[in-house]
Amino acid sequence: MALVYELVWRLLHVLLHVHRTLATSVRALLRTWRGPAWRRALAALLTPAALAGFPGPGPGTGRRKLPPGEDEGERDRSRRRVRAEKLPLHVGLLVVEEPPSYTDVANLVVWCMAVGVSYVSVYDNHGVFRKNDTLLLEQIVRQQDRLGLDEPKYNVGFLSNGNTVHQDQIVPCQPVVKILSPEDGKHSIVQAALHLCRTVEQKERTSKDIDVPMFDALLRESKNIPDPELVVKFGPVDSTLGFLPWHIRLTEIVSLPSHIDVSYEDLLGALQRYATCEQRQGK
Amino acid sequence: MSWIREGELNLIERLSANILKAGPVPKHVAFIMDGNRRFARKKHVDRQEGHSQGFNKLAETLRWCLQLDIPEVTVYAFSIENFNRSREEVDGLMELAKLKFLRLLDEREKLEKHGVCIRVLGDLTLLPLDLQQLIAKAVVATREHNRCFLNVCFAYTSRHEMANAVREMAWGVEQGLIKASDVSEALLSECLYSSNSPNPDLLIRTSGEVRLSDFLLWQTSHSCLVFQSVLWPEYSFWNLCDAVIQYQCNHASITKARELHQDEQRRQQLEADHACVAELLHHHGNGKPADAPRRQEAVTEYGVRREARVKDFLDALRNKRDSFLTELASQATVA
Repeated sequence: MALVYELVWRLLHVLLHVHRTLATSVRALLRTWRGPAWRRALAALLTPAALAGFPGPGPGTGRRKLPPGEDEGERDRSRRRVRAEKLPLHVGLLVVEEPPSYTDVANLVVWCMAVGVSYVSVYDNHGVFRKNDTLLLEQIVRQQDRLGLDEPKYNVGFLSNGNTVHQDQIVPCQPVVKILSPEDGKHSIVQAALHLCRTVEQKERTSKDIDVPMFDALLRESKNIPDPELVVKFGPVDSTLGFLPWHIRLTEIVSLPSHIDVSYEDLLGALQRYATCEQRQGK
Repeated sequence: MSWIREGELNLIERLSANILKAGPVPKHVAFIMDGNRRFARKKHVDRQEGHSQGFNKLAETLRWCLQLDIPEVTVYAFSIENFNRSREEVDGLMELAKLKFLRLLDEREKLEKHGVCIRVLGDLTLLPLDLQQLIAKAVVATREHNRCFLNVCFAYTSRHEMANAVREMAWGVEQGLIKASDVSEALLSECLYSSNSPNPDLLIRTSGEVRLSDFLLWQTSHSCLVFQSVLWPEYSFWNLCDAVIQYQCNHASITKARELHQDEQRRQQLEADHACVAELLHHHGNGKPADAPRRQEAVTEYGVRREARVKDFLDALRNKRDSFLTELASQATVA
């Protein structure tokens, strides 16, 4: 009997896998070729809603990528649409798929900044973006030039290097990009705890002095960014994989199937989904 | 309503459970049981009735978990932030908790029969004293049971828990049990309220909200997160199966990510030991740099001593926590 159960289980998971792959390829097909409405409806049907661990974005999924520099009217409309609603101050881009695509992440970063997000952080659990940060930065600058944004060059800061790069250039209203790795997560909490315990060891402090606001201030000091209000997760893994555990207390987590060939409208969908969330703060 | 719901699955449910059990099943599932008040509004019943129905659903879900071979469940019952709700609702929730823990004490035999160990995670001192005593009594009464585990997060937030863990480590330093340099990721995990449990494999939040709301932030950093739109009092066996299937789809990639993280943790610990030994040699050595084999030996030796210190500290911490509960529980008997 156990054998039968196992066979059925395997069959079930093979079917789920096929469904997932099928849905992904249909989405990719539609992205390159904007078909009539019935095709989009078909894509919606095939999207594995029940399988997506995280809720997908609202309207606007799976449509054609907006070519940079074209269709300005449409983009302006979209920008207005987001601006009118609630916009997060800090967006985290969490990439949980391999291989990472620098161009697509750079696009996402530039789009975020273009709609008015002040802080964008990029994370993957292998620390790949952190290791190759110059590559990502080059891409971001390139995408900005391609989009021809008239805004000033964006500041790019790194965490865990002590302080941010280009510190002297920071202008209050300028957006900041942070490239994060697992080191900025639990590791930085442990470092803060280690620091506190050293001060206790040297009798500069007692254990009673330690509480949430004090620890939070200490972590913020070394980070210098507000908590992300929205994390957009790209990829098939339904987990945050170590993304800033202290800081995602109230973060809304929205999932998109992949960051490869992601479109501006996909990102807008995630932002709109965030705008509709209601935070009750325990009440 | 009782904590233990006896009952069997029907044929189709039993078949599905058996099929699911052919794959990897989570050892520990955490629930954010959201939607009791929305359920009450939808059904036009009292808010308090919504909370009661939510509790009944918990008893039913625990039974399903056992039938799916999930031995440990953690639930978010009351957040520290919830103290901000209206006086009336907070009082109502405290009253409900009192009733349920009294009920639990009545059902001691049934809990023993099923081997259910109940733990309460959170800052008990924030609660009214009579509730604190009841909770302590319930925890002490079931703490020897070891077949299945229910952790109830009450007066809990994850940030509070993490800050408390840091405070406990600082206490250990003050007491001279550990050195500040012994602080590590593994030690911090051991100082959390949840130190007796493995990290949850699966976290389920109902009612369509897509955030963690300060729940087990540290412990779920590599867990499968499933957000479901059903309201908690309407949660069904099939919703649970759906979540387990999602866990199974994620199992391979999450296991890989966890292993990667553990390797990194080991590397960091070794690095820390090396740094400590280097510092010791610098202070006590005769000025000459030690050769590689001697240094390696010193690092291993240092690691052994560090582990011994940490063990003593954790024993002391456990004793401190146990005697706090035992004392509270004995007050309850006197009262």
